[in-house]
Amino acid sequence: MANMLPFPSDGQVKEPANLRDLGEPLIDHSEGQLFLNEAFKIMMEEVLCKGTDVKQKVCEWKEPEELAQLLDLELRATGEPQQRLLQRVKDVAKYSIKTSHPRFFNQQFGGVDYHALAGRFLTETLNTNLFTYEVAPVFVLMETEVLRGLRQLVGWTEGDGIFCPGGSTSNMYAMNLARYRLFPEVKSQGVWSLPRLTIFTSPESHYSVKKGAAFLGIGTDNVILVKVDDGGHMIPEDLDTKINVAKSLGAVPFLVSCTSGTTVQGAFDPLDRIADVCEKHKLWMHVDAAWGGSVLFSEQHRHLMKGVDRANSVAWNPHKMLIAGLQCSALLLQDTTNLLKRCHSANATYLFQQDKFYDVNLDVGDKSVQCSRKVDCLKLWLMWKAVGSTGLAERVDKAFFLVRYLVEQMKKREGFHLLRDPEYVNVCFWFIPPSMRGKEGNADYQDRLAKVAPVIKERMMKQGTMMVGYQPLGNKVNFFRVIVFSPLVSQKDMDFFLDEIERLGNDL
Amino acid sequence: LIQGSNSQRCSNRSTSTGTTTARTQGQLWVGATQQQGADLGTGQLLSIDLDSETFVRADQVCEWRSPEQLKELLDLELRDGGESESKILQRCRDAIRYSVKTTHPHFFNQLYAGMEPYSLVASFIVEALKPSLYTYEVAPVFTLMEDAVLRKMIEMIGWEEGGDGIFNAGGSMSNMYAVNLARYHHFPDIKEAGLSAVPRLVMFTSQECHYSISKAAALMGIGTKNVYMVPSDNRNSLCVCVQGAVPFMVNATAGTTVLGAFDPIQEIADICEKYNLWLHVDACWGGAALMSNKHQHLLKGIHRANSVAWNPHKMLMACLQCSAFLVRDKTNLLQRCHSSSASYLFQQDKFYDVSYDTGDKSVQCSRKPDAFKFWLMWKALGTGELEERVDRALATARYLAEEIKRREGFRLVMEPEYANVCFWYSPPSLRNLPDGPELWKKLHTVAPVVKERMMKKGSMMVGYQPHRDKANFFRMIVISPQASRLDMDFVLDEIHNLGKDL
Repeated sequence: MANMLPFPSDGQVKEPANLRDLGEPLIDHSEGQLFLNEAFKIMMEEVLCKGTDVKQKVCEWKEPEELAQLLDLELRATGEPQQRLLQRVKDVAKYSIKTSHPRFFNQQFGGVDYHALAGRFLTETLNTNLFTYEVAPVFVLMETEVLRGLRQLVGWTEGDGIFCPGGSTSNMYAMNLARYRLFPEVKSQGVWSLPRLTIFTSPESHYSVKKGAAFLGIGTDNVILVKVDDGGHMIPEDLDTKINVAKSLGAVPFLVSCTSGTTVQGAFDPLDRIADVCEKHKLWMHVDAAWGGSVLFSEQHRHLMKGVDRANSVAWNPHKMLIAGLQCSALLLQDTTNLLKRCHSANATYLFQQDKFYDVNLDVGDKSVQCSRKVDCLKLWLMWKAVGSTGLAERVDKAFFLVRYLVEQMKKREGFHLLRDPEYVNVCFWFIPPSMRGKEGNADYQDRLAKVAPVIKERMMKQGTMMVGYQPLGNKVNFFRVIVFSPLVSQKDMDFFLDEIERLGNDL
Repeated sequence: LIQGSNSQRCSNRSTSTGTTTARTQGQLWVGATQQQGADLGTGQLLSIDLDSETFVRADQVCEWRSPEQLKELLDLELRDGGESESKILQRCRDAIRYSVKTTHPHFFNQLYAGMEPYSLVASFIVEALKPSLYTYEVAPVFTLMEDAVLRKMIEMIGWEEGGDGIFNAGGSMSNMYAVNLARYHHFPDIKEAGLSAVPRLVMFTSQECHYSISKAAALMGIGTKNVYMVPSDNRNSLCVCVQGAVPFMVNATAGTTVLGAFDPIQEIADICEKYNLWLHVDACWGGAALMSNKHQHLLKGIHRANSVAWNPHKMLMACLQCSAFLVRDKTNLLQRCHSSSASYLFQQDKFYDVSYDTGDKSVQCSRKPDAFKFWLMWKALGTGELEERVDRALATARYLAEEIKRREGFRLVMEPEYANVCFWYSPPSLRNLPDGPELWKKLHTVAPVVKERMMKKGSMMVGYQPHRDKANFFRMIVISPQASRLDMDFVLDEIHNLGKDL
């Protein structure tokens, strides 16, 4: 029984905690292990088996109020028995979205890799932080090796890096490093000692660039947006122009944050030409490859990131296309002057003692702005060991292949209107219901079109057949963005996808 | 988990080098169906044996290897080709073997320790489901759970009018959120115009605060020089006039990292009210005391704070990470401060109430549902049991302190206020030296050697550090309800064993 209030059969009165015998452990691990085993069976069945089965739903929609009732969220004074808790585990599994399902196309994560999953479970059981060698010897060494492996794919033989709690944080780190490199006094003096700094990025970049600018005290007004072409790629000529304009206004440009694999369209900024501009103006070039970085594994597709080795920093999230599982986000640096540590260190004496009996350079904690930091490298390392770079490359190639198939099929069907041919694995399109076809000239066409995707989305979620995202972009009204990359997905799922959109939207 | 009779209890009491008796095997199967396995091109089943290393009071806390040796053993290099299932399983075993067993009852090195099975189950569920907590549509269950946990924590802080909050990737981040909200609250223009558009800001904190305050100031553009350190026992220094600068925030610490001291929140709140400063209480470590009727007085006045950071992954043993940031605000300040309204994620034309989409309260995009790890264990144990654990940890710490006083060669740095017991160990050779620079210089070298020996032996892990002008001393942290009075005796015995010849 998990219920902690004891009702001993011998009728003894419960003693207050401070008089109770401190000579025995208070908890019984056999109970805990039993629960763990039972709960694990449920997870296997409900999440890993059913959750990846196309005959099962992707989601079990409930309105928030109804779900809150069903889950009985309240936290109370007394505990609950094992059976009740196991039911709770079932409920959580039932009402959660099956993000590994072959028809979950909603986000830039999905699918499942069992080695990475095993790595995640192992990480949880070992429960530790990655700040010192003494407390996490295996993982300190492992993280270094994984970062080296990733850097090698970028094209750097040396360098630095760290795992961050998400790509947004990686982007923020790059911003901080770029600023610190130019004005190291900012660490102690703050921004008041500096001229006005400006950042350059495209409107299709991830919103974390703006959030980062606000968080770092730079201000979102000082994020200058550079024009993009029809495909959503930053235009290097405009970047050059905007930098010159900023300078003429007395500001100091210090960072260009370009994107390899934009969030919505999956566009890859032209890195070589952007690098030319950055070199000319001596700006830090950061490549947000959180989404697109994994093309570097593929001989066939790595050309999309040609020039990445000229960057100062790269953000890359293996929890996206490589399916390592949240969180797995790396920041990679070309720097070899210990910039990361110099920028972030606070030399806390209770953690980073200098008189330890091992080489204290292994204590990487001061490279981070975090204190506690999860071990995010094990899941990637284990998976990489299991399938090899070749195996990971195959996945990337397969994703592109599937997308090509989807696009071909889409073009054969009336009513599917691609925004443009995809560069990556984001397929953006409008679905035009039969009633609207041929009526593009109508005054209310755009308004009506904007309403189509939200209704189809609602229907698919309430029926639980699949999940796909939609959004507006610039002056383009709501369109679908289907993200295809999970190794569990096949051509049949692509056919299903198209059929289902039609089925859900034909009557609109 | 109940305190059963002796025969039911896991009878694995062992000495530091003893072997276990009954072991419970925990087999984890991570399986793929034949079809999926074929599609993946991988093997059929992956099984990880969790028995010996993580649950029971087995052998050693750690199996020390030098970095060079460990690199060899682990064969870390990533290659083109993959490996067999059995090789991968062996790699899992190696990772377990050479990792420090932070769940071991003799691990006292950090502000986390022990094993909480219900939280672990929740962690596993999260890892299996892989949700991201930005929208209701993608994480309906966890969105509601985070809200329920935050509400309960707010209730325990004592904000009757309610509040807001979010779970972050660590207490350092929670502290950063406090800084960001405090400055945005005073000067909302900062978000767009940056700090240059406002006067120089300064913040106050105690000398004993966590170093994340300093890191926050650096990262967020305030600058470490604009963080004024107030000596711990001199609150009047807060009234120092800072020319041309605008004080905007005070950070008080409830449970300091090394000594486990609690700032006097009531008095600090008085000062903050007088000068209109944002009061943030870093209760990452000490927040657990709020669970205890007996010990919550340590945080008296916390209901007057504007924001609180509280990490259940510390004393309450939720799995890492589990860090909450709470703010006494009902004006949606958190969202207004952080939002960027990305249209691909926070569409306003969704078919459900979009106020459930909490993602824009964060500076993160993808975010793990860490609150669930706390929710499930709270459901399992109830507030009553959580209280009991806190009380027990502090009672055990008190026992340790008394024992230290009784034993020759051991000396407390100060009376523990919480679960940190800080002390020096003096080997016999130093016991006749008078207090003075010579003693302190020699004493300073004792702890590092004892630490090295305990790690190489693998019998336990206890931290040490210098502190201001004091020689290296040990810092025992008592958390896990699995640690008993006998374990406290063991720690002192072992330190003596390892250090008596120095």
